[in-house]
Amino acid sequence: MNLATVSPLIELRSVVKVYNSLAGSVTALSGIDLQIFQGEFLVVTGKSGSGKTTLVNMLTGLDRSSSGEIWVDGEPLHKFGSEKAAKLRGRTMGVVFQTFELLPTLTVLQNVMLPMDFAWRYSRWEQRKRAMNLLEQVDIADHAKKLPTALSGGQQQRLAIARAMANDPAILVADEPTGSLDSATANAVIEIFEGLVQEGRTVFLVTHDKDIAKRGSRVITLSDGEIVGAKENVHA
Amino acid sequence: MLRARWYKVINDLFGNKTRTLLIVLSMSVGLFALGIILSARTILSDGLAESFATIHPSSGTVRTTELFDEDFIQSVRKMEEVQDVDARRNISARVQTASGEWKNITIFVVADYDDIRVNKVASQSGAWPPPEREILIERAALSVIEAQVGDVVLVRFPNDVERRVRIAGSAYDPAQLPAQIDGTPYGYITFDTLKWFGEPYGFNELHVIATHPENKDWAQQVVNRVKDKAEKSGYTIPMSMTAEPGQLPMDDVLQGILLLMGLLGVLSLFLSIFLVVNTVSALLTQQKRQIGVMKAVGGSTLQILGMYLVMVLAYGVMALLLAIPFGAYGARELSSVLAVFFNFDIYSMDIPQQTYLIQAAVGLILPVLASLVPFISSLRISAAEAMSSYTMGRGRFGKNWIDQLLSGANLWFMRNLSIRSILLSVRNTFRNKGRLTLTLVTLTLGSATFISVFNVRASLTSTVEDMIKWFNCDVMLTFDRTYRADRVEFDALSVPGVAQTDVWIQLPTRFVRSDDSESGMVYMFAPTVHAESLIVSPTIAEGRWLMPGDDNAVVVPSAFLQDEPELHLGGDMMLKLDGKKHTFKIVGTYVGMAFLPLVYTNYDYITQITNRVGEADALMVKMERHDPAYVDAATRALEDHFERIGVRVSMVSTINNERTEAEASFDAIVALLLVMAILLALVGGLGLMGTMSINVLERTREIGVLRAIGAPNRGVALVFILEGVVIGLMSWAMGGLVAIPMSQGLNQALGQAVMGVPLTYSYSMPGLWLWLFIVVLLSVLASFIPARNASSLTVREVLAYE
Ligand SMILES: Nc1ncnc2c1ncn2[C@@H]1O[C@H](COP(=O)(O)OP(=O)(O)O)[C@@H](O)[C@H]1O
Ligand SMILES: [Mg+2]
Repeated sequence: MNLATVSPLIELRSVVKVYNSLAGSVTALSGIDLQIFQGEFLVVTGKSGSGKTTLVNMLTGLDRSSSGEIWVDGEPLHKFGSEKAAKLRGRTMGVVFQTFELLPTLTVLQNVMLPMDFAWRYSRWEQRKRAMNLLEQVDIADHAKKLPTALSGGQQQRLAIARAMANDPAILVADEPTGSLDSATANAVIEIFEGLVQEGRTVFLVTHDKDIAKRGSRVITLSDGEIVGAKENVHA
Repeated sequence: MLRARWYKVINDLFGNKTRTLLIVLSMSVGLFALGIILSARTILSDGLAESFATIHPSSGTVRTTELFDEDFIQSVRKMEEVQDVDARRNISARVQTASGEWKNITIFVVADYDDIRVNKVASQSGAWPPPEREILIERAALSVIEAQVGDVVLVRFPNDVERRVRIAGSAYDPAQLPAQIDGTPYGYITFDTLKWFGEPYGFNELHVIATHPENKDWAQQVVNRVKDKAEKSGYTIPMSMTAEPGQLPMDDVLQGILLLMGLLGVLSLFLSIFLVVNTVSALLTQQKRQIGVMKAVGGSTLQILGMYLVMVLAYGVMALLLAIPFGAYGARELSSVLAVFFNFDIYSMDIPQQTYLIQAAVGLILPVLASLVPFISSLRISAAEAMSSYTMGRGRFGKNWIDQLLSGANLWFMRNLSIRSILLSVRNTFRNKGRLTLTLVTLTLGSATFISVFNVRASLTSTVEDMIKWFNCDVMLTFDRTYRADRVEFDALSVPGVAQTDVWIQLPTRFVRSDDSESGMVYMFAPTVHAESLIVSPTIAEGRWLMPGDDNAVVVPSAFLQDEPELHLGGDMMLKLDGKKHTFKIVGTYVGMAFLPLVYTNYDYITQITNRVGEADALMVKMERHDPAYVDAATRALEDHFERIGVRVSMVSTINNERTEAEASFDAIVALLLVMAILLALVGGLGLMGTMSINVLERTREIGVLRAIGAPNRGVALVFILEGVVIGLMSWAMGGLVAIPMSQGLNQALGQAVMGVPLTYSYSMPGLWLWLFIVVLLSVLASFIPARNASSLTVREVLAYE
């Protein structure tokens, strides 16, 4: 596959993010250029505080950039307000967080159905069927009726992945999804992402774990808000 | 099957029962108070108007000294400006109570009890009409004479005839001032019974309804014409008076109460608005992170807003379900208590529609508006920020005085706790300044209202003191006619216990305007003015009190100058005394009850111009001791002495009684104020508890963190209790300050309504301390319970709490 001829799924052009607070201003990203292509397993690594989460927030539209352009599926996310960003996210992206961020008063099944509900996708019966399928895919269908707090950490993160998959997004964005998990559980979670990539999905995964980074198809390294290294991995 | 988002709403509502209960309670206490006040106000004023309309109220009353008969009634009835007229005999008698004490009683004699045309009296219980040689007592008067229907009481007529009469029943006579208020009970007998008492047949009181009773000026003119007619027919008119159109005798006081209730209603409206807004914004603060998550998974602001609006509406509906029935119940109870006190019947206990509407508006629309505010502001922050822990760390700590107060140095008593983390926690309360402000405003308003209610109560007492204090004597005796002043004084001083005496003379007079028209009855009091006078100056509004050398000087009530535009301080005033006109000079105005126009002139001058030199018809006595028991005993001895020497005493009033009676006339207001104070304490207290508990609940997670890092449970609970008490104390202190202007406003309004002048301002320290006690107690309870609950969860459960 010749990547150069394919237009990127997501493109960042000179994206800068400066946080202003009373303590002074912090430049978390200083001019990021990045292209993400369909079918990639892109891994971002870097030390704590290097700007990884900020980058996730920029390309998902969870936060606004200070300057620069962000194009998602041909749409100018950098020009969108939070409303349009939320809609775009609902349609095209699934987000997974380090601390899971499940809704504590919804059951496992309802957590997966919620994004479909917000996106007005699928009939209610389809929503339910899809949600059950996704839970089966991540191996927690047995716990569908439970509340998230009754699940183990690894199960909660799988639930979060299932929820991210709810609207059949073009890309999955995960910010340190294994950060709160032990290594065996973490491995199982990464395997799910690999499976999804194999199905042809695009995954954008943030980690500071070197071993996990090796499993991506492309790895970029952040330091002080700048991309300091990029490497293509060739897997069997 | 519902959409997933509604499951979240339902689970949030019913999954966290403690929170739902707290929110619903805080919202409903305000709505409850609002309901009581709005409904009671309407029920009472409607009931009053209706009760009054059914009795055919008179426009005015004309009393004669000589008796008149049916012919005269007929001739008045023929006057074309008179719509209707009826007559009674009015007798000031004495009655002996069960405890042996003699009390004044007004006895009415009516010709036909089943055909009363004006100021109708109705049967309440027992016999009707009054049987021969028996008496009916007004229902509100039974307690005053300490008797029941069926009892036999001893009654003494002015002609000294004493008879034992059985109380055959009770009557309902709303046109009279309720007996317990002025201490004068009312009785009803027939002319046959009157004859048995040795009194001749005849009437002495006309009750007149003018053709247009609603027009006060016209009614006054008509009453004056009836009076003129009576005078022309040869009757002496000691008194005539015009009623306010459509008003019961206690209308001023009741209007004062209704006004006060209205003002407190507005205050509790604000209070409930703040409670509702505060509760809703607390809820949304708590849900901030989840809102961020929902945005992250594609929820639009509108969708999320929709969810919270439904939730808030559900809280509102639950609060209304509590507040509406309890409010209606409270309103009915309060109305019936007040109606008994003011002695009128309530015909309809229907809760007015607008109460429901206002309650629903406050309970449903306000929470919605309240939740829009945080939503609109949350639009400005990104989803990332809503979910970020950075927002917590971006506060402006160390800048404001609250933060200073909570700096380590001031928390020495917690030295052995994990101070750093604990401080962090306490400081969080103050970080959200909007919430803190809202909480404080709510609690301050509650505190201020509670304290103000106590202040108004204290002010009522000081007002009575003010009205009484210029009587420097213990007893006042009024004689049936004038006697020689030096004789009565000499006789009085011979009675043991009497220390000092003084005399005055009192005369009915009328003010004559420049167009020759006359005012209603004005009482002229002419005390002696010298260094040892037993009457000192009433509170002077403008000008001065009488001086020894004054001749035609007069001191008038300030309200009189407002009513009579041609009068002014320093100007002249023409008064008719014994049918002759005299010119007086207004040297001062005094503050006092404006019900009864009383003017003061110099004894020496008045006795001179009326040919009564050396005479007196009233005696003031100062006893050797002033305690009620001593004064009563000495007064009895004095009365007996006068009776033996043939001096007829028509009225005795001790200052102690006067004070009790004046205070009693404020009793209803005081009682109502107490009810209101309790209600507001309930609202303020529950509001305080709710607000604080929600604050603590909101931070269950933080409690978990504190415990995870090793803070002892007791220490954690202590931190939250401390925080609650700090907030409580702040609201108490601010409420105490806000109460100053608030109670001045209430005093102004209430005083104007009841007496035409503001009440004498007084700040109630007991009220302030009582509220301090309540506030501290409730703050501790409110923060202790949820904090203990949070501490009893396992750390893992707490951290999962959202
Ligand atoms: N909301 C914020 N306010 C202020 N500074 C922030 C905020 N978020 C991140 N930062 C700062 O920006 C830099 C990058 O942070 P982040 O993107 O969270 O790094 P990473 O995810 O790689 O650990 C850090 O120096 C951090 O302190
Ligand atoms: Mg990060």
